[in-house]
Amino acid sequence: MHLYLPVALTSINILIPVGLGLAVGLLSGLFGVGGGFLMTPLLIMCGIPSTIAAATDSNQIVAASTSGTYAHWRVGNVDFKMGLYLLGGGFVGGLLGVEGIKMLSAMGNAGFVIKITYVLMLGIVGTYMLIESIQSMRNRKTDETAMNKETRISTFLKSLPFQTRFEKSGVTHSVLVPLVLGCLVGILAAIMGVGGGFLMVPIMFYILRMPMHVIVGTSLFQILFTCIEVTFLQSYTNHTVDFTLAVLLLLGSTIGAQVGAVFGRKLKGEQLKILLALIVLVVTVKIIFELTLTPSLLISQAGGH
Amino acid sequence: MKKLKSAAFFVFACSLVYALSTGTASAKLTSIANHDHITIDFFYHGSSVSVRGEADPGTDVIIKITDPEGHHVVNKKGKIGGMLWMNVGTLKFEKVPNFYAVYSTRKLEDILSQEEREKYVIGYPELEKHAEITPIANEEEKATWFNEFVKFKEDSHVYALSSGAISTTMQPDGRQTYYILTDWPYQAAPGKYQVAVYAVKNKKVVEQAESTVFVEQVGVVKALSSMAKNNAALYGFLSIGIALSAGFGVGLVFRKSGGSH
Repeated sequence: MHLYLPVALTSINILIPVGLGLAVGLLSGLFGVGGGFLMTPLLIMCGIPSTIAAATDSNQIVAASTSGTYAHWRVGNVDFKMGLYLLGGGFVGGLLGVEGIKMLSAMGNAGFVIKITYVLMLGIVGTYMLIESIQSMRNRKTDETAMNKETRISTFLKSLPFQTRFEKSGVTHSVLVPLVLGCLVGILAAIMGVGGGFLMVPIMFYILRMPMHVIVGTSLFQILFTCIEVTFLQSYTNHTVDFTLAVLLLLGSTIGAQVGAVFGRKLKGEQLKILLALIVLVVTVKIIFELTLTPSLLISQAGGH
Repeated sequence: MKKLKSAAFFVFACSLVYALSTGTASAKLTSIANHDHITIDFFYHGSSVSVRGEADPGTDVIIKITDPEGHHVVNKKGKIGGMLWMNVGTLKFEKVPNFYAVYSTRKLEDILSQEEREKYVIGYPELEKHAEITPIANEEEKATWFNEFVKFKEDSHVYALSSGAISTTMQPDGRQTYYILTDWPYQAAPGKYQVAVYAVKNKKVVEQAESTVFVEQVGVVKALSSMAKNNAALYGFLSIGIALSAGFGVGLVFRKSGGSH
């Protein structure tokens, strides 16, 4: 059955967005990512204009991440304090990022540098995560060297002022750490036009040393607020949110997020990490292909940021 | 809600049998666009439009359906550093319609001279000549990007060019009638579309007739799309509110039904 989308001005088979929502919601509940990397291009493939695909996806993520945050919160896996500090940093980072885009686009080829940096970062983070989690799963002794390296980072982190205890995560950090990290991810997210979950999750694990299950819940909590802001700005300034499409997507994604959260609880932290590392690497490869293969259409609708 | 939808569907069904002939430009050539008022409701998945009429015996017929010319800004992709494809800037297209469909009884080049095709902007090369594209360095570049533009538009089914789709019949009394039934793509935006019919003889347009196709959103579809434009803040809050409650709602349902392990 087809349904007409009043803002996207196109018609879509309702099974497609519901199915897509289910799949992406599952990833979201499992790994604490928004899933925009997957959803937006798939929607564009279904004939949704790119600007509307991106904006509507953030509306849908509001629902999926509410559902996911709720599921993780019920079992005590959301660190609200940490989430709020990261959000605070992310908000400032987003503003800086938007300014950054203006500056960079004035410089010309900057888009190229940003994309390369992003692909490299994703590739390095994915590979590191994969190797590290396989090693620590096989033999806990072999990552002693890694532990030493991390102690150096943690001594530095310990030397910072404003130390505070994050009860839920069981870690103590300076409030500056989540603020600065949130800000960095916010800048990148604004420039790249992605949510940043893929960078945030590894950062929470390797630098903030939070337990994997709390990371997923906290990341979803943070994504929820970011996407509320984006949804509002997009619908207010660009009129690009297709509410009908968002409802179809969230029918699947809210359920997917619950299933993902339940499934994630049955996995060990290490297993989650390996799966996430694999997905990060798949995304890296996807972006590399996107950048190097000749596109079928050399023209696309302009708009967005 | 259901009532409203079925009402909207009824309107849609009625418009299928609703036919209207519009003023014709000549005594001989006539054109009637059947189903010329297309309404878009939630169940809209494109429609069909038929154009029929009478043309002098021995003439060929060309039908051009367009919406008003306007300007379009698109992103162009290019290779950077010899290996990576990225958006490398924008192009502005002026004097091109968003919708452009040309049907003819035979190949355009065989029935109409180049000057005439250019005069009436019939065919892609002629539309290219008519269009203004900025910024471009030379004619060669203009041709390249215009071709890409056509590919982009054809991909979303709003540009089409086909010959042989119009059928002509000689009536016993010596009159010639033509008829075409064509799919109307759901990608075509709401608006007023102009149907121009040209009777062609000796490579020249000898007569012209016109009618219109009107595409309009109705009911909830119309209400939502106008709210998104005219009441954007409320629309944004509503979208967020529904998403939040849907997320919580599903969370509660799962808490009640499942969650045991």
